[in-house]
Amino acid sequence: MPSLEDFKPFVVTGLALGGVYALSGVGMVVLYRATGVLNLAFGAVGAMGALLAWQLINVNSWAQGPAFLVCVLFGGAVTLLYGVLFGPPLSGRDPLVKATATLGLALILLGIMDLVWSDKARSMILPTSNHGFEVSDVFVNWTEVIALGFALAVMTVTALFLRFTKTGTAMRALANDREITATLGVPVRRVEAAAWLGSGLVSGASGLLLSNLVGLDAATLTFLVISSLAATLIGRLRSITVTFIAGIVIGLVNALVTPIVSISQYRDMTPFVLATIALLVLSGRRGSALAGRAG
Amino acid sequence: MSAAGATSARARRVRMPQLDAGERVRAAVIVVLLLFVVLLLPQLLSGYWVTVFTSVAIYSIVALGLGILMGRTGLVSLGQIALLALAAWVAARLFFATGLPFPIVLLGSGLITTVLGALVGLPALRLSGLYLALITLMLAGAITVVLRATNFPNGGHGFLGHLETDRGNANIRRPAIASGDTAYLRYTVIVAAIMFLIALIHVRARPGRAWAAIRQSESAALAAGVNVTLYKMWAFALASFLTGVAGGLLAANSGQLFITTFPTSDSITLLAVVLMGGIYSLWGAVVAGLLMQFLPAVLNNWGVPADWLTIVFGAGVLQVLLTAPQGLVYQFPRDMAKLGRLISGLAGRGRPPRREGAS
Repeated sequence: MPSLEDFKPFVVTGLALGGVYALSGVGMVVLYRATGVLNLAFGAVGAMGALLAWQLINVNSWAQGPAFLVCVLFGGAVTLLYGVLFGPPLSGRDPLVKATATLGLALILLGIMDLVWSDKARSMILPTSNHGFEVSDVFVNWTEVIALGFALAVMTVTALFLRFTKTGTAMRALANDREITATLGVPVRRVEAAAWLGSGLVSGASGLLLSNLVGLDAATLTFLVISSLAATLIGRLRSITVTFIAGIVIGLVNALVTPIVSISQYRDMTPFVLATIALLVLSGRRGSALAGRAG
Repeated sequence: MSAAGATSARARRVRMPQLDAGERVRAAVIVVLLLFVVLLLPQLLSGYWVTVFTSVAIYSIVALGLGILMGRTGLVSLGQIALLALAAWVAARLFFATGLPFPIVLLGSGLITTVLGALVGLPALRLSGLYLALITLMLAGAITVVLRATNFPNGGHGFLGHLETDRGNANIRRPAIASGDTAYLRYTVIVAAIMFLIALIHVRARPGRAWAAIRQSESAALAAGVNVTLYKMWAFALASFLTGVAGGLLAANSGQLFITTFPTSDSITLLAVVLMGGIYSLWGAVVAGLLMQFLPAVLNNWGVPADWLTIVFGAGVLQVLLTAPQGLVYQFPRDMAKLGRLISGLAGRGRPPRREGAS
């Protein structure tokens, strides 16, 4: 059994990764609640944004700032475009069909990424990764601080937005009952477009952070969405707070298992294991909490 | 699995329905087609295409399982290829550990995969379809992690049966009657035909009717006395069983297994081709198998990167879900009929519309 000292550095990486998982999870839950679409292409969009930024920096020799901005905006633009094109025609269908349709987008993006960027390994290092400080002998770089801080900020802003703004109230109304909300004169499409755009911007930002924290690889980044999905599942696709905490916990557990040799190589199973436990608990008391959107 | 035993019992109770003329023709067409594929096709193909068509047959079985799950009960699994990898692992382990006859190993890997799939599926099935999709996607990720760590058996000892060194001579064996590639293609096609028959029996009998009721309306099915969770479970178990058998065939086909054969994205690709092939007809599974294994081989032959296909499949998913939920199996004959009408209209002779083998 490794000593407590061995775990220290992994607390930092765990919190940073967990922050991004939580960030993506919150982005997905907000979109799901407003539009009924669980965006399974979330990771693919972020991955492509990050690869695009890499291309702009290393091939077109852009400055880093604008390239990172393009990454985030790309996430927003692609997601918004998908939402405007395919949201309305599928709006009356089952949530499962809507989620399956986003896999179409994921495949298109995966195909493009494999065509353009599959020739060699790439890496993305944010300028904030080169600087940092020490907390009890553990080096913490600013990217890790930003990951957690940004996630916290986004969650807080989102919660406040949903609570206090007109669009936010409309989103919550849509989550409750789409038909009635439309009857009341809420501009459904515009509110949904806002949700798509917001969620898309978050996907771009998470893609950028993950490309630094984990690695710049299309398939890896695309399927990192699994960790965030586990967080949303634990949050029952509704609760932003639970999703956030679950994301952090998944990241932490995943990282903290690393020094334990016997199970270290199985640590990436964490999302699956935690989600399965959550499912067992949920299905034990079904009916009460799941009668709403998820059904 | 008690479900499998109950299936045959129930199937026996259902009287064989009288075939009408149309069905008799269709049955005859199927038999002729099958005879062609088993007897003639392997003779016509060169070495490379024999292995390609063996893969087509194997992936058709996997597609059949997912097609039944999606088309009959409206459930989605995003981890079928990972389940296939798991089944291949189980089959390889059984092949190396025992001297059991080939069909018994296929059955064994089918049943073990069924149990493993059921364990994962059950809690999600009691919730909603979205939860099953999510948990199977996570399962896909988890299986990939485990297999990357344990690797596939290659004749070693112990539970994992993996040797780091000396992996040259331990091939997963094939059935004695089908050790060559051509013979193994025939063998695979016959097993696939049996699997399609099992699926057909399910669809025609009591489970099929229960699935149809569930697909129309879960609450109505519940009110009519259908045990919704049981029959959803049954569909998921059947899909797992089919995938398990396919895994056994795949293990013996390639001789040695590598994790790179089963990328997580393939589970998504499988979903796409199954949707494009058509989920309401068993033929859709054959089309899906061709799309997934035959088309990439053709593109490879032409020197076109297969990534283009991924893009096409992605667009296909959106197109199918938006406009043609029945998939290519229905859409193609319909479009051909439309085209025929258009051509005859242009020619101005008022020819009757062309009829492409609408099945």
